[in-house]
Amino acid sequence: MYAAPFSYHRATSVQEAVKLLQELGEEARVIAGGQSLIPLMKMRMARPTALVDINPISSLREIETSKGELRFGALVRHADLEHSAAGATVPIIHDCAAGIADVQVRDQGTIGGSLAEADPSGDWGTALLALETSVVCFGPDGQRTVPLEEFIQDAFTTALAHDEIVTAVHVKVPPKGSAGAHLAFKRSAPVYPTASASAQLTLEDHNRCKEVRIVLGCVGLTAIRAKEAEAALRGKLLDEKNIRAAVEAARAAADPQSDMRGSADYKRMLAGALVKRAIGIAARRARGESVEAGHEYVGR
Amino acid sequence: MAGKSITKVTRKKAAGRGSSRLSANGARASAAKWVGQPIRRKEENRLVSGKGIFVDDEKMPGMLHIRFVRSSYAHAKIARIDVSKAGKFPGVVCTLTGAEIKKQVQPFIEIGPGGAQKIADYPMAVDKVVFQGEPVAAVVAETRFAAEDAAELVEADYEPLPPVVTAEDALKDESLLHPAMGTNRNWHGVFEYGDVEKAFQQAAHVVHIGRLHFHRFSSTPLECNVILANWDPRSGDIEYHCNNTFPSFASQFLAPALGVRIDQIHMKSFDIGGGFGIKITSYPYMAACALASRKAGGRAVKWVETRIEHMQASAHGNERTFLDTRVALDKNGVILAIDSKHVDDCGAFPRYEPLGCVIWAQVLPATYRVKNIRIAMRQVVTNKCPVGPNRGYSRMQHLWFMERVMDICGQALGIPADEMRVRNYIRKNEMPYKTPNGCVYDSGDYASMLAMAKKLVGWDEWKKKQAAARKEGRWIGLGIGSTLDSGTNNFGQARIINPDAPFSGQSKVGIVKLDIYGEVVVSMGSVPQGQGHETAAAQVVADALNITPDLVNVRPGFDTAHNAYTGHTGTYASQFAVTGLSAIHGAAIKLRKELSRLAAWKLQAKEKDLEFGVGAQGPEVRVKGRQKAINYWALANLVNVNNAGMPESLWDITLNCRHVFHANFQIPDVKRKYGNLTLTYAAQIHAAVVEVDRETFQPKILAYACVDDCGKAVNPRIVEGQVHGAAAHGIGAALLENCGYDSDGNLLAATFSDYTPITAVNIPELLYGHMESPSPFTLNGAKGMGEGGAAPVHTICAALQDALYSSGVIIDDSHNTGDSLFHTMQKAESGAYKGMVRVEHRRAAR
Repeated sequence: MYAAPFSYHRATSVQEAVKLLQELGEEARVIAGGQSLIPLMKMRMARPTALVDINPISSLREIETSKGELRFGALVRHADLEHSAAGATVPIIHDCAAGIADVQVRDQGTIGGSLAEADPSGDWGTALLALETSVVCFGPDGQRTVPLEEFIQDAFTTALAHDEIVTAVHVKVPPKGSAGAHLAFKRSAPVYPTASASAQLTLEDHNRCKEVRIVLGCVGLTAIRAKEAEAALRGKLLDEKNIRAAVEAARAAADPQSDMRGSADYKRMLAGALVKRAIGIAARRARGESVEAGHEYVGR
Repeated sequence: MAGKSITKVTRKKAAGRGSSRLSANGARASAAKWVGQPIRRKEENRLVSGKGIFVDDEKMPGMLHIRFVRSSYAHAKIARIDVSKAGKFPGVVCTLTGAEIKKQVQPFIEIGPGGAQKIADYPMAVDKVVFQGEPVAAVVAETRFAAEDAAELVEADYEPLPPVVTAEDALKDESLLHPAMGTNRNWHGVFEYGDVEKAFQQAAHVVHIGRLHFHRFSSTPLECNVILANWDPRSGDIEYHCNNTFPSFASQFLAPALGVRIDQIHMKSFDIGGGFGIKITSYPYMAACALASRKAGGRAVKWVETRIEHMQASAHGNERTFLDTRVALDKNGVILAIDSKHVDDCGAFPRYEPLGCVIWAQVLPATYRVKNIRIAMRQVVTNKCPVGPNRGYSRMQHLWFMERVMDICGQALGIPADEMRVRNYIRKNEMPYKTPNGCVYDSGDYASMLAMAKKLVGWDEWKKKQAAARKEGRWIGLGIGSTLDSGTNNFGQARIINPDAPFSGQSKVGIVKLDIYGEVVVSMGSVPQGQGHETAAAQVVADALNITPDLVNVRPGFDTAHNAYTGHTGTYASQFAVTGLSAIHGAAIKLRKELSRLAAWKLQAKEKDLEFGVGAQGPEVRVKGRQKAINYWALANLVNVNNAGMPESLWDITLNCRHVFHANFQIPDVKRKYGNLTLTYAAQIHAAVVEVDRETFQPKILAYACVDDCGKAVNPRIVEGQVHGAAAHGIGAALLENCGYDSDGNLLAATFSDYTPITAVNIPELLYGHMESPSPFTLNGAKGMGEGGAAPVHTICAALQDALYSSGVIIDDSHNTGDSLFHTMQKAESGAYKGMVRVEHRRAAR
């Protein structure tokens, strides 16, 4: 469980990080929290020749609110978000942050690293797709902002160029009357979920769905926007029939594979069950109720 | 996590007599003052403050590191292995291949008879591989980095052979793992007692049960296998710092294989980060490390197993399939007879097996009075990781089977689970109870334990809630798991496996001495892995000498240099409280006698007028009612440093007292498979309420209670901790942990992300109850405990059965998850369980 040889470099500014990545070549990788990269390197499933550590760039650890936007530095830890005001304002962020793996991982793992890794089972890619999210990237030509939908392109593949790094994640604060929920179902605390689902609902007249986003995690090569499921609810009453139609559409949108986390047909069924619950919780929250939600596993 | 707990003590007069009968030299045990107290563990501070000494903390001058190259195939011929590039890698000292070491060693001993003797088990694969992860070569280097880098340069080509993955595949004998054996069936025997056919003729009901399956899981100790070996070319001795937990067994396998005398093997351990039995079969790696050390010119070689290596290629628990079960019951649901065929799957090499083919028979009738039993036991080899004794070893599979039988029959006949058990349990007044195969259950009161478990879990209230919840369409079930922890095994049972097996009985050694300045020092013949042996030993010695446990210095760990071992020495089979502590007690009593003789001379008093205690100058011997006393320093001084003038009659005194405890066992009747196989029977009865979520199918424990009875608890705090640990292990096995293989023989759970071992956050609140039915056969009435018999596996399966029975489900596997229950319900809807349980109602003959 020792990594293959690599060189280690510390960057103290984003400019320096980019410069190092350019100098060190294609096989260099950025290390942020290291919660995925280091285990993969120890198993020699990842063999970067060089690591560029961006942790010394303290400006990347800040959380700001500006112009109706939550701005998370790339190095903001899951635990920072679990305990942040942002999590309290936007419950889906708290649901996601508070249940990722275990305490140790949450204390080290970063939101920027999680999105840049683009693991189809990662939680942030699913939860943040239910909101209006963009990813700020910095490269040799300066800064660019990419909508999350375009940032994550495939399993473990993003829009980042080799010499670009994620510097921040911007999330538009949902309007009044809008709330969401992120539910993940996993076998034990530290592992990736078997399936997850996020829903963000904007209600009008208490029970009519004005706007909705429904996202499925772990059941495809990327998080999946279940647009048919959204269409089944948008502009309609949140009644049993419409919710059932949304759940059916969500199930149909899932494209899972069998593995030790679960069989494909079980994951598909589970995705539907989680969407149903997420809609229910999001709706209650949108009406002002305080509801606990998040990750579920044996014993919790 | 600590829940409410209750304690009930049932005292038997016999226990007092038992304790004096078993004391060394006929001396009566002094009044228990410390034994029975929940004192804090002496080991705790060391272990929680990072001062433990584990094998990986040990270093030797010039120490090298070994990395094994392993097969990615489950079954294949080795076409070519080329280590030349690896050998040239900077920092590499030498390489090893299986073909090379075959010339230097004998294959390991096989315990099984007949064809099993033809299995050639070497430290590394020679010409074919039989499980994924089997080592085929090794690289020895100056650093661990160099070893790992160079290992990647070893080239190996394989010609795949058809893998044998399930027991059913193995029985077909189409693809053979060990061609010399001529079959994959390595052991078979029929265990038949009473008059089975007559009982079936007299039955009011006969229940036929289809295939049941107990899954493969393991223990995942915090510390994996670690070995530091040094084969000294000058002395020819091999020194091992190693966390093998049954070093005497390992030595007896290693010495003939490596061609050394047993006294040339020096084994040491200090702290061990858990074992649960799974480290007993690490001897092939111990041999490989020694051979590597020799090839490297006598430099020490360290191996630290990685978690993936541990999951793939250390040892797993036994998997067992139960076929063609028939159960005869009378009109009241009392089981008259059981007839069944069991196939145990031991993986690629038997190693400790086929001992598991008899060890289950320690608990043949489980907690029940059933008299007529016929079980055809067979074991097969498959292309999977070899098994090793895994906590609850071989008995838990059988106990699970018996509990499934109880629940399936109860449900088929409409008898509630608790009632079914009460009608069938062995009664308190039948103890000691002789089982149909000659085992003696020493004591116990299962019905009272069940009553306590039901009370703790709130059984009656949950029954009402369950009825209400069912109306809402919820799936809530209540379950009971009755289990036994048979401890202190009689190795004579190995004769039932192989009449030529040259071992029997059970023994342990303890040494208690006074060192030069009068320190009380204990060397244990055990290999503790977190069970608190140092504390329990100190409690026993403190009582024997009437001092306090903090004045007793117990040497941590095991070391053959302490000379506190026999061929049975190790920590396994739930026995330390009986064998280890009896040996230490015997040694303490011998020391007490020597101190008494010495003090009588020095104080010019009669021995009968002396008493032991702690005075102003530490532990002492004094003359009752007078101001005359001599402390331990002065007594030790007399023997060791200041012995001029001592009368010759005292020259036999060494103050270094060694005692060997022997359990009173006979060799079983091999032909009838009859005899006393274990000394004590601790019991646990668990009760649980489990809900299966209708949307996710995930089982959720709503309430959980464990009641244990291990006779006199030497340290109730340690006992409760062991009960919690065993319960966690069992809950993990029931709901999370599964060493699943695909059809090619690839292990699907080689990392913790896939195996999902249970952690603290997965464990529900455990409600704990404790009873004491002292054993009439042991010192203080204690029984060995700690394995726990996988009670939660039985209990959770029972609760799931209860939750889903009305949906047409039979819980036929010991491992159940949301995913598997989703498919179970689909199977039930398609009527797949319809033929699995068949009930014949007959007119009762009586």
